[in-house]
Amino acid sequence: MNRLPAPKLFLVLALGLAALYLFPLYWMYVTSLKGSSEIFANPPTFWPNDPDPSIYPETWARRTMATFLWNSLVIATGVTSLTVLLGTGCAYVLARYRSVWIDIGLFAILMLQVLPASVMITPLYVGFNQLGLLDYPRTAVILAAAGKAIPFYIVLVRATFMSVPRELEEAALVDGNSRWGAFFFIVLPLARNGILVLAILTFMQAFGEYIYSKSIITTQSLQPASVGLSGFLGPNSTDWNGIMAYAAIYVTPIVLVFVILQRRIVAGLTSGALK
Amino acid sequence: MTAQIELQNVDKHYGTFHALKNIDLAIDKGSFVALVGPSGCGKSTLLRSIAGLESISSGTLKIAGETMNGVPPRKRDVAMVFQSYALYPHMTVERNLSYSLRLKGMSRADAKKKAEEVAKTTGLSELLHRFPRQLSGGQRQRVAMGRAIIRNPKAFLFDEPLSNLDASLRVQMRKEIRSLHDRLGATSVYVTHDQIEAMTMADYVVVMRNGVIEQRGRPLELYDFPANKFVAGFIGSPAMNFIASSIDASGTRLIFDEYSGESIALEQRLEPNRKVIAGIRPEFLRVASEAEANFHIEVGTVESTGSATYISSQDQMVTVVQSERTELKPNDRVGLKVDSARIHLFDAKTEARIVTDAG
Repeated sequence: MNRLPAPKLFLVLALGLAALYLFPLYWMYVTSLKGSSEIFANPPTFWPNDPDPSIYPETWARRTMATFLWNSLVIATGVTSLTVLLGTGCAYVLARYRSVWIDIGLFAILMLQVLPASVMITPLYVGFNQLGLLDYPRTAVILAAAGKAIPFYIVLVRATFMSVPRELEEAALVDGNSRWGAFFFIVLPLARNGILVLAILTFMQAFGEYIYSKSIITTQSLQPASVGLSGFLGPNSTDWNGIMAYAAIYVTPIVLVFVILQRRIVAGLTSGALK
Repeated sequence: MTAQIELQNVDKHYGTFHALKNIDLAIDKGSFVALVGPSGCGKSTLLRSIAGLESISSGTLKIAGETMNGVPPRKRDVAMVFQSYALYPHMTVERNLSYSLRLKGMSRADAKKKAEEVAKTTGLSELLHRFPRQLSGGQRQRVAMGRAIIRNPKAFLFDEPLSNLDASLRVQMRKEIRSLHDRLGATSVYVTHDQIEAMTMADYVVVMRNGVIEQRGRPLELYDFPANKFVAGFIGSPAMNFIASSIDASGTRLIFDEYSGESIALEQRLEPNRKVIAGIRPEFLRVASEAEANFHIEVGTVESTGSATYISSQDQMVTVVQSERTELKPNDRVGLKVDSARIHLFDAKTEARIVTDAG
């Protein structure tokens, strides 16, 4: 008798929290479609009286969003490629071998994950400056952001590799494959889902990367959309629907990818945990 | 007969753990050898060393006369059947079967034809396009076997291949594996912890414990003449009864110390007053009248499977198996008779078999 209300209560709670969390997203879309006077109306309107989508093409052109988004894409692609290329092999080794050194390595990697980007940026900036990397600011950002993304990637891809039974590899070895062959043709195809999901997550994170880009890239034509958006904001900014339109254009592709792939992403993240 | 697999003074260390201790073993071409022992005895390590999945720390390993130390698994030309079958989940049965052939560079069409042939002999023809997850345990087992057969390897290595099957299927696969071995004229090494599998399938049984070979021989040799108490207890089901005993002052009688000093005449004279362990198989003990009985037990449990009746003593030290049914109930005192020729004697300290003229 007493047990029935509990699940419903939790459902209501969950929906309430989700609504609270997603409200800014909703507010972003709604505000972008409002006229400038309606934005400041009190009490606020929850649906624009006269939706005006023309702000989108206008903002796109005025803020040179094509360039910003292209830079975001370049950085995200770079970070993802570097992470997958280096992280996959690393995760595999950490999954397959057991020793004190592996444990120390894993601990060190987890420590990397702990350090926030805002703490790392100063030493990185100085280091990149010494190496002359600041002349290639996007490359520098890719390196810095990949360094931040790899630990997360390694820890989760390692779990994926651990779910691939070792005996499969051994069977492949006895069947006549080399160590490399067994990795590429047996283990990788079986870990593909997990790797794919984490590559997508890495990509999405890098697509929104801000701190390193803001600090390292000073040339506006090389800045990603996140930095472009912050340039929009100022103490006196009034162009709220323009800002919201910009944000909507920036965020919508990421949200769409997430919505389309959410089933696989959830499955991929838990694949190592559940057997 | 030439040895197909030869191990000389093979040792294996994992850090400080000594997994294989000075193993010498020659496996003849065409023979079926079972490695048995409790878990952790090194039997799987030995098999994996032959396959090349583990490297040996010292000694020599030869397959078909060639030294294989340090040779990677793919160049050893041995096939292995794993306990978990280890079928490639992302490949169909056909591709699982023909994987090794395609690695060798055989054309797709030829490999397919070969896979179909093997599928026919293993009863998998209908399943060639299925994936492993769509197969039952028995079918997966067959694919694993087929994958080994298709290569026509120098040796088959089996790592507890039947332990994931249910009991009736296990009995059936036991016969199938053995008849397959005979048909192919293959050399097989079969690891199991189940002594019944070893006894029924193998030409030779190698009993291992703690990285050491305790005894090797034909199945019935091990049953009739176990070299020590461990082998005696491991081979045979239900396990052999062990009774702490001693030889009397004249050296002609065996005294069952644990059974109020009851005794039995020995076949021949032994060193007087020596402490020994008497081993008697449950099937050679029988319930006897007071006049015939050699010693007595208090009945603890009586179990009957219909075909056999198991009578155990209260202290669980002695079990009797008989095919006749019984009226005995717990707490009954019952006399047991044994033919003294059927008693195995082991030294109380070394646990080694005491060799008598009788064997």
